Amino acid sequence: MRLALYVTCLVDLMRPSVGFAALRLLESAGCAVVVPEGQTCCGQPAWSAGNKVLAADLAKKAIAELEGYDYVVIPSGSCTDQIRNVYPQLFAADAHWGPRSRAIAERTYELTTFLADVLKLPSALAEFDGSVTYHDSCKGLRGLGIKRQPRELLMKVNGLSLKEMTDCEECCGFGGAFSVKFGDVSTRIVDRKCDSIAAAGADAVVGGDLGCLMNIEGRLRRRGDETTRVLHIAEVLAGGGDS
Amino acid sequence: MSAVKHSQAMHFQARAGEKVRNPVLQRALQKAKPLFVGKRAKGVAALADDGLDFELLRTTCEGIRNRTLADLDVWLDIFEERAKATGAEVLWARDGDEVSQLVVDIARRHGVTKAAKSKSMLSEEAHLNEALAAAGIRPVETDLGEYIVQLAGETPSHIIAPAVHKTIEEVEALFAKEHGRPIETRTSADIPAMTQEARAVLRQHFLTAEMGISGANFLIAETGTAALVTNEGNGRMVTTLPKVHVVVTGIEKIVPTLEDFATLMRLLPRSATGQSISNYVSLLTGTKQPGDQDGPDKTVFILVDNGRANLLGSAYQDMLRCIRCGACMNHCPVYFSLGGHAYGWVYPGPMGSVLTPLYTGIENALDLPHASTGCNQCGSVCPVRIPLPTLMHRLREEQVERGLRPWSERLALKTWAWIAGKPLLYRWLTRRAARYLSWLADGEGRIRILGLAPEWTAGRDLPVAGGQTFHELYAARKRA
Ligand code: SF4
Repeated sequence: MRLALYVTCLVDLMRPSVGFAALRLLESAGCAVVVPEGQTCCGQPAWSAGNKVLAADLAKKAIAELEGYDYVVIPSGSCTDQIRNVYPQLFAADAHWGPRSRAIAERTYELTTFLADVLKLPSALAEFDGSVTYHDSCKGLRGLGIKRQPRELLMKVNGLSLKEMTDCEECCGFGGAFSVKFGDVSTRIVDRKCDSIAAAGADAVVGGDLGCLMNIEGRLRRRGDETTRVLHIAEVLAGGGDS
Repeated sequence: MSAVKHSQAMHFQARAGEKVRNPVLQRALQKAKPLFVGKRAKGVAALADDGLDFELLRTTCEGIRNRTLADLDVWLDIFEERAKATGAEVLWARDGDEVSQLVVDIARRHGVTKAAKSKSMLSEEAHLNEALAAAGIRPVETDLGEYIVQLAGETPSHIIAPAVHKTIEEVEALFAKEHGRPIETRTSADIPAMTQEARAVLRQHFLTAEMGISGANFLIAETGTAALVTNEGNGRMVTTLPKVHVVVTGIEKIVPTLEDFATLMRLLPRSATGQSISNYVSLLTGTKQPGDQDGPDKTVFILVDNGRANLLGSAYQDMLRCIRCGACMNHCPVYFSLGGHAYGWVYPGPMGSVLTPLYTGIENALDLPHASTGCNQCGSVCPVRIPLPTLMHRLREEQVERGLRPWSERLALKTWAWIAGKPLLYRWLTRRAARYLSWLADGEGRIRILGLAPEWTAGRDLPVAGGQTFHELYAARKRA
């Protein structure tokens, strides 16, 4: 099985360890992983700003790069949602790109969904000494129905205990450009998330989207919480957070 | 035009900042949110006890609304014919100004000096209270929440809980002042006592108003009936005690049959307050007949367009399904960080972010379709499955197509897309950016002020990794 790992622009720039963790997970499960060379951005920022033309340009580029693999795997619900749900919409009336976008959409998986549902990872994954609380990010949860998969995988980590927070499905207020445009509103929203995290009292907060995690980590630290670790689920499953 | 004239929606961003920093407002909102969310969740879960499936019911309700909209003109004709047959008058208004004119005319003709009102959002759209006051007629809001905001000289901030932005202490101080009672007579906020106090004042108004003005949750075509759903009983007083009753409502509020109405009622109160049914459901048909104990001598329906007909057959038609339950705002993280006033017009929250630009002009509410994190909590609770984020997104596209976005945003996106289209350049630039960010970071790997995104780092530290990109490290690893 040959699969393409799509490393999101945030992971590339802000936290490469997530990409390497995903790579390790997939390789140790026996997949032949390729990181397609020309990959850059899936086009979501342009799409969400309402610019269809730019979004379509970047989508075509991504489709061309990602074709020819059995699967495309992405350590992000939000970029996966873009490819699975938005690409076919962008090219719905396009005789050439329509079928190509639909073919890519079908083969594209968010990391935890791929590990749990496609690879059906059987046994223990890694070690983690402590408790975690899981934040369901919106695009993954409501766009792709990711809920059970990350929890199922976390339960396979030795030593890890899951402490659910109340309102784990509540938005963290990131929303990409939203948190830049409406910084103070976004801060108000992430504050409520930080309260829920604090109340859960876990050693770490874990999620599947780096955007949300940076937003949460940034706010936790600014509020003076220096101890709660903020980890991408790939980092936890692959063991640790350092690569 | 009146809508455009009065819309404050352009100032969303400035207002948002102000609301986020208002501690009293924040306290009020913080208290209300879990109540709304919890009650709806319970209400929806309880459907199963009655052997009903929520998703199935949603589909049915969505279908009823779509069928109505597909033949809206036909159902409106039938409504008009049946309503007239019961002795009611049916008038049509194109916009808010026409609404005000019609109501003032009716009031003048009947020598009205005071009008008791039960909540009507359309009268907010039309600025009816101002028009009545200007004509020397006193409008008195009788829904407790609306009464409070009217006393405070404000507008409602929520479609079913108009005064949700106020704390009990604020309301108590307001009542003391307006009801002429020394505030010391009560030391702690006592809600039942406050309600009694308001009730005593309102009773007098019910008895002395010559005209009642209400909205309608639904108009039922087959019987020419207006359906009114309330929890305080004020709706019944307003629609039966005064000799003239005027119903002001949007043309999209129609449903074909009583059975359709009953079906929609399974979801409306549950979505709004979690109740299986509201305390009062009034079905108002025609005028007082010989032998009737009470009821108005004259009933007038004013059916209003005010932008609705434009949405028929457009990319935004789905929005006309809305049954005004408020669930979308109750589950919106943005709404509950700001309250409704930040949205600048009658309709707040996600539904307002769609309706306000559509009704007052896209160019007059540029921020609203962007005032969303895209979380889709609204769409996932809407009982009639309105895809609110999709509609907001469509509005964003239209802004781009019409060149309404600021040049800085356009330039930023164009530049980003241009760079992302050239992998080699992109790699080189991201490598530089990674170095730059790590140079900006402090000893703990955090950036505390980032000039590129000042609003972001005003509230958060930006965590920064080691100064090298994934692709750079990966290439090095492959070479090794
Ligand atoms: S858009 Fe949907 S959830 Fe919001 S008020 Fe209308 S019907 Fe209710």
